[in-house]
Amino acid sequence: MRGLRKSFGAKVAVGGIDLDIPHGCFFGLVGPNGAGKTTTLGMVTGLLRPDAGLVLIDGVEVWRDPVAAKRRIGVLPEDLRLFDRLSGAELLTYNGLLRGMPAAVVEARASELLEVLGLADAAGTLVVDYSHGMRKKIALAAALLHAPRVLFLDEPFEAIDPVSARTIRGLLERYTAGGATVIFSSHVMELVQRLCDRVGIMHLGRLIAEGPTDQVRAGRSLEDAFVELVGASHAGDEELGWLGTWSA
Amino acid sequence: MAGHLVGLKLALLRNGLRRSNWPQQVALALGALAGLPLAFGGFLLLALVPRAEPGAGLLLVEIVFLLLFLGWGLFPLLSFAGDASLDPSRLALLPLRPRELVTGLSLAACVGVAPLCTLVALGGAVVGFGTLGPGVVLVVAAVLVQFALCIVGSRALLTALSRQLRSRKARDLVIVLIAVTALGLNLALQVGARLAERLERADLEALRPLARVLGWLPTGLAARALVDAGEGRLLPAVVELAGAVLAVALLGWWWWRSLDRVLTTAEPAARQRSRQSPGLFPRPLRRLLPADQRGAVAAKELRYLARHPRLRVAWVVSCLLGLALVVFVAATEGLHQPWVVLGSLTMAFLASQNSLNQFGFDGAAYWTHVVAGADPRGDLAGRNLASMVTGMVTTTVLALVLAVVTGGWLYVPVALCLSLGVLALSLGVADVVSVRFAYPLPEDASNLWAVQGTGQGCLVGIVQMLAFAAQGMLLLPLLALVVVGLVLWTPALVLVCPLAVVYGWFLWRVGLGLGTAWLTGHQPELLTALSIRRAA
Repeated sequence: MRGLRKSFGAKVAVGGIDLDIPHGCFFGLVGPNGAGKTTTLGMVTGLLRPDAGLVLIDGVEVWRDPVAAKRRIGVLPEDLRLFDRLSGAELLTYNGLLRGMPAAVVEARASELLEVLGLADAAGTLVVDYSHGMRKKIALAAALLHAPRVLFLDEPFEAIDPVSARTIRGLLERYTAGGATVIFSSHVMELVQRLCDRVGIMHLGRLIAEGPTDQVRAGRSLEDAFVELVGASHAGDEELGWLGTWSA
Repeated sequence: MAGHLVGLKLALLRNGLRRSNWPQQVALALGALAGLPLAFGGFLLLALVPRAEPGAGLLLVEIVFLLLFLGWGLFPLLSFAGDASLDPSRLALLPLRPRELVTGLSLAACVGVAPLCTLVALGGAVVGFGTLGPGVVLVVAAVLVQFALCIVGSRALLTALSRQLRSRKARDLVIVLIAVTALGLNLALQVGARLAERLERADLEALRPLARVLGWLPTGLAARALVDAGEGRLLPAVVELAGAVLAVALLGWWWWRSLDRVLTTAEPAARQRSRQSPGLFPRPLRRLLPADQRGAVAAKELRYLARHPRLRVAWVVSCLLGLALVVFVAATEGLHQPWVVLGSLTMAFLASQNSLNQFGFDGAAYWTHVVAGADPRGDLAGRNLASMVTGMVTTTVLALVLAVVTGGWLYVPVALCLSLGVLALSLGVADVVSVRFAYPLPEDASNLWAVQGTGQGCLVGIVQMLAFAAQGMLLLPLLALVVVGLVLWTPALVLVCPLAVVYGWFLWRVGLGLGTAWLTGHQPELLTALSIRRAA
């Protein structure tokens, strides 16, 4: 991406981002709340039109040929608004047919994904009755269904139980080993440090650090590097002294 | 503690008013205005009738008391999802004992528009039955016991059912019940008013056994205590009052037990059905719908029609309107004409009206379409297909029923061809309007009165009126031909059949083309329009 910008009224959400992500890379995008991660992912995936800038995915310009670009990507957005009056299995069928996949392929892949992600028992349950973690998993299944070359995941491990998280981690690692690219945003630094080859740190709509994970953290933990780059607030250290005095 | 809970209720009322936008405030004002006639109507009824018709007094009070009790039981159940102060589990984390809660919540329940209206209505009984002397104390006591029965009974029932009411299915069901109850109430009031006009003194005598039965209910005991006290029979009044007080105590005990259970028992995890999914395509249409994007969108729309509470209300109401039309035609001698079958076209028109904002129910979930790079033409055509299926099914059923009633079988094919045309041209207009002027519907599916707070209600209204007018204008040529066929030259009715289909098909193609042309390349803008709340 080159010179990517987006403002909402007077507020600059993303103030010009240049970034190259190599094929087969596990890329982590981190930043404090309001840093512009979700807006950036929205613009890169064709969900939010940028004010300026260029996005190329696998050589295809996203905003000039959106259909070709979208064939190559799978997306798990942060705000999990799904067609929740469909059951899990119905939602996957719907997604597959929307992408023009043959019904038989959709059905076979959907049942496999439901099985691997531990949702087979809830395949007939309406998504509106799913827990938050289950919604994440069904949305991830929908993103993987057409075997995209690039996967964009916004907070994929939030509210996921440890067993499912391990399954998803394994699945994504196998996926990138096959040459696919995964770009994901997260607040869990330990996870980003463990999973990602490269990492980008966003703050106030700008990319303030980017490169191989080991290089960005420079011997420290990624969390320490992040806090140092973003600048931590120490407010509250003195004010909340009463917290150590028990009420009953 | 009780003071705090009363304060909480007042704050909720105040903030509810402050947070709501003007349509909600208008709705609230209308609600209060609707409450006032009920309150003063009840007051006048209880104050005047017993003096005018002493024989009818007891029965009247028994019925009014019972209706009040049932109203207090029913309406909080229906507004449970929308009223934060009704759900006791919200207080579960506070260190409160059930006894404190029962006292506090009882007092808090006495605050609000509904309790005020109830007290005003019950005040009429004090005026109607109050006499000078010791009896007046018992009259006031009976009224207060009736009020307590309403409050405690309502809260006890609500608390006992609170777990069930929080479930998604119950909330969905309640939405439909509200709509049907509102329609039913309207109908009952009209029928009741007609019957009351014909009521004579002899009928009152026939109702005496009913009074005897009602008299043994808790509300009946309070009513009998009131009447006996008013007529100077103090001893029976005291005994009956004691019975009613005992009922209040029993309801209070039930409430206390339910509260204890709600506050100390963990919510069971939602049960998940392990059954196999029936598949996206509804079984009867599996062979009819294409197994591609159009078919998938149509199937999703049909599934939503059956599962989304707001859409359920829309089709339940249009079915009831259809039924009302049939009843009206059957009951009116002058309407037993064959051409009345053409009245079934209202169903086609109603079915197309949701399409004017056909992306609204997708809301922010429309990102799925954007990110899939879904073909806008297939998307629109799928939605149109679903509207066409539902519109044609309901129109056909109504046309056949009307044909049975009026014998106008020859008009059935005319009605079906016309409805195809009407649906198609309405959908053509909708395809343009729905992509250019889309607006999100409230996220809260469980609150029928929720209004999207985007401040664009006025614009939406104007656009819908214009679309409605455009549909009307485009319908004029067909309408003119039908009138000619009915009044001047019958063969015109045969001519209109193919013409309606071709004309509708042509206008639908034009609308679909215009809608597709705009939507291609503007899907992100449509998504932004459908998720305004997120961007704000």
